Amino acid sequence: MATAKENEGNSFFNLRKQTAPATTLPVILFSAGGSRFAVEASEVREVRDYDEGTTYGKLKGPLPLDFAFQVGLGRGILTRCVVLKPGECWLGVSEVERIATLPRLVALPRIFQGAERHWYRGLLLLEDEVVPLVRTDYWRSLAAAEEPVLGGRE
Amino acid sequence: MSSTTRFVIFPLGGERYALNSSQVRELLMPSRVHWFPHTMRSLEGVLVRHGTVIPVCDLGAAFGASKARSVYLVAQCRYAGNLETVAIPVEGDCQIVQGELGEAEEGVTFVTGLLRTPGGTVPLLDLERVVSLCIQPSSRMAVEAGR
Repeated sequence: MATAKENEGNSFFNLRKQTAPATTLPVILFSAGGSRFAVEASEVREVRDYDEGTTYGKLKGPLPLDFAFQVGLGRGILTRCVVLKPGECWLGVSEVERIATLPRLVALPRIFQGAERHWYRGLLLLEDEVVPLVRTDYWRSLAAAEEPVLGGRE
Repeated sequence: MSSTTRFVIFPLGGERYALNSSQVRELLMPSRVHWFPHTMRSLEGVLVRHGTVIPVCDLGAAFGASKARSVYLVAQCRYAGNLETVAIPVEGDCQIVQGELGEAEEGVTFVTGLLRTPGGTVPLLDLERVVSLCIQPSSRMAVEAGR
């Protein structure tokens, strides 16, 4: 009787290589609620200080979405806004860290069948980390569904 | 009805269960589980293996919380109509055996058959049913499993 560990080298136990789409697009890494996320750099119009964004509150404009809260991490510490193109979706995040190039993108496993399928386009394998790549069309539609802010927000 | 084939026997929740070897893809030593926010109960996160990601499914909801995990059993099962690969943490040694498969006793949950080996009988785990029970979208916005 052989243990399974002894048979790890057998083809029977080898995990077949799965196809994984790759991306060469640069991404912007940001943190929210203690976790790290990525957004395609080509989808971002600009990054603003959160205070700067909110002091524009006297003007009619989009209310930043608390990204951490939206993905179930509780109220986030908001210091930056990632403004998605064309400019109507502002994601409030804790920090914008850096741009990463040549990340490898793999599909979110199909067994994840909840809201995360809307939140993420896939998972980036980045150095020693797995970072969700946000699905910008979903966040734009969510921002569009928010009630318009008429000004005077704090 | 009986047939002789290979099976993998593994510990789960203090008992030993078997899976047909055709369902088992690999055994992995414990490695880092990468967590990210999601809404699925019993999914801890993913393992990265040769450029692929494998969801880690903790079956503690059905079998009780596991102690120190010694290996991940990577197996295939159907979930929501799709063939999925999942990594199941187990807490002890696994064995590959040949045995004869017979029918399970009635009324035993999560078991599809009874494996007879020279060392005794081992229930054959109904992995699809267990995974279907354990892995569900949470009613909460997100599960902070493993944090």
